[in-house]
Amino acid sequence: MSKAGLKCPNCGSSNIVNDDLYSQAQLVCVECGAVVSEGSLADDPLWGTDVSYSRTTAVKKNPCLNLIKGLERVKEICRILRLNAEIEHLAQTYFRTAYQHESFINVTLQRKEVLAGCCVCISCRQRNWPITLGTICCVLNAEETLLGGVYQEMLKILNIQAPFVSVVEVIETHVHEYKICKQDVPEDFAEDPKVLTKRAVELVELAGESWIVTGRRPLPLMMAATYLAWQSLNPNRHRLRFSLDKFCNMAKVRKRRAAATRITELKEVLCRLGKELPWVTEAVTESDVVPLVGDILKYRHSLLARALKTHEKALEANCAQTSTLNHPTDEVVPTQLSESRNETESTSSVVQLSPSNKGENQGDKNDDQSEEPAPNWGKKVLFAPPCVINAKRRRVERRVENCTGDEEISDSEIDSYIRSPQEARDFALMQKMLSLPNSEKS
Amino acid sequence: MDSKNDEALDIIVTNVVATFRTRCHLNLRKIALEGTNVIYKPEMGKVLMKLRKPKITASIWSSGKIICTGATSEEEAKLGARRLARCLQKLGFKVRFSAFRVVNVLAVCSMPFAVHLINFTTNNRPIASYEPELHPAATYRIKNLKATVQVFSTGSLTVTGPNVQNVAAAVEHIYPILYECQKPRCK
Repeated sequence: MSKAGLKCPNCGSSNIVNDDLYSQAQLVCVECGAVVSEGSLADDPLWGTDVSYSRTTAVKKNPCLNLIKGLERVKEICRILRLNAEIEHLAQTYFRTAYQHESFINVTLQRKEVLAGCCVCISCRQRNWPITLGTICCVLNAEETLLGGVYQEMLKILNIQAPFVSVVEVIETHVHEYKICKQDVPEDFAEDPKVLTKRAVELVELAGESWIVTGRRPLPLMMAATYLAWQSLNPNRHRLRFSLDKFCNMAKVRKRRAAATRITELKEVLCRLGKELPWVTEAVTESDVVPLVGDILKYRHSLLARALKTHEKALEANCAQTSTLNHPTDEVVPTQLSESRNETESTSSVVQLSPSNKGENQGDKNDDQSEEPAPNWGKKVLFAPPCVINAKRRRVERRVENCTGDEEISDSEIDSYIRSPQEARDFALMQKMLSLPNSEKS
Repeated sequence: MDSKNDEALDIIVTNVVATFRTRCHLNLRKIALEGTNVIYKPEMGKVLMKLRKPKITASIWSSGKIICTGATSEEEAKLGARRLARCLQKLGFKVRFSAFRVVNVLAVCSMPFAVHLINFTTNNRPIASYEPELHPAATYRIKNLKATVQVFSTGSLTVTGPNVQNVAAAVEHIYPILYECQKPRCK
């Protein structure tokens, strides 16, 4: 009985809210304050529940009602997700074990429901059925943080491990959600899901090699890959002009905001590889890289190798340039060559602790600019995540030299220097006492 | 292969949390009215006092327990705590500085290589746990040091431990393990 269709019996208004400030949730009318429906406490039988004779003399303990309900819920979730019987059995076993444990027996019903979802998730993963926690979240309509917490606890209690689900496995299910078959959309925009999946998988693999996947949520990335795959499979003017918004509306999928950033990042990577295509003469920009995507993906391994070589040559040229400007006292060692894995950098072998800027301690050369932090590994490789390329510079704490005692005291600090009246009196007294013996001596 | 490979790793301590007691009841309202740089939070029953130098934020409870956060070293935390006790003394309370204890130290460190988190977790189960959908870092708990290290795939680490010594030991402990699972720089 939701509050949507209810009417207050007292005044007839339909403005009824769920008031859960007190120990039980009640439905209350806003206009007159009448309680429309009470919670479970009011429904308790007056003299306690009637216990039958057979129950009082029962020998075997009946299984807990909530446990039975939970197992039914596990079955339900498995049916919704169309999982096979093996996974269902495994999930039920896990649920039964976890339920008996002390950290799950006395928790709220919501948490027990989330536990059911987590058991299903872990069984799927162990039987190599790729499913994400996000899907479970949608099915249960639960909060992600709650789900995450219960999942970690369950793993610890049951002492089980799960193999990792990679984005590539999940993308097939994802692509099938998009309604762009020939029946749903005009001929111009329709696409076979199998072909679309194949190309999207290739795009995701490329993204994985260029640091777009790690640390990011999978869904926006899959959306971006699907969109670019769809555009590139038939790069006519209509498709190229079709924005992500319109694409999601057409395919009846909810658009993710982060998908736009992923599209930009993917296009940047594709541009870098597109430059290496031997038959491309003019510069490749982000607006005209989409028709080339098919070729880029087909030859992506060799294009990656070529791009790497170009990058290394550029770095060597850069190094040579800067070393002629600096003192030739230290050797500039290019540690980024693909042949050598050995670190040939500076030789302080102690792990140092510093509360301030780390730039001074790293061994890389640039004697003239001692403030500049050492170039991180992000500058040396072809692809790196944004947090490494734009690494934060730590603020340098200037060591205070020549503290004379005449420096300005700020207004807020002045209070800790001014003496309170009592202190002033004590100080005056002490001065008098000090001067008295002196005067006595003299 | 040396365990540290002749390289200096800079561990930057970003936060030190310390507690101490003043051994006397504190009137929060008086502190809120007369103290400088204070924020009164009656719904949580505490007063926040911020010091400029060292840059420290302290939560003051009426029972006399105080938590100082924001220091960048253990000495600084102690200095800040003492300065705070002095401020409270000036306000008129009979404060005695006792039971000073550093509770938590948070430090960051950066490896010069990227880490393949999936290999790292499979090699080190169950000490390491990694759930990419929940958090992008793998968590490695060192039981005897009581330290937790969060390893990101870019090679950055955040280490939390009970004191600075443990934090340094934790980084030394985990370096060889990470070195084995590093991501090759080129394909």
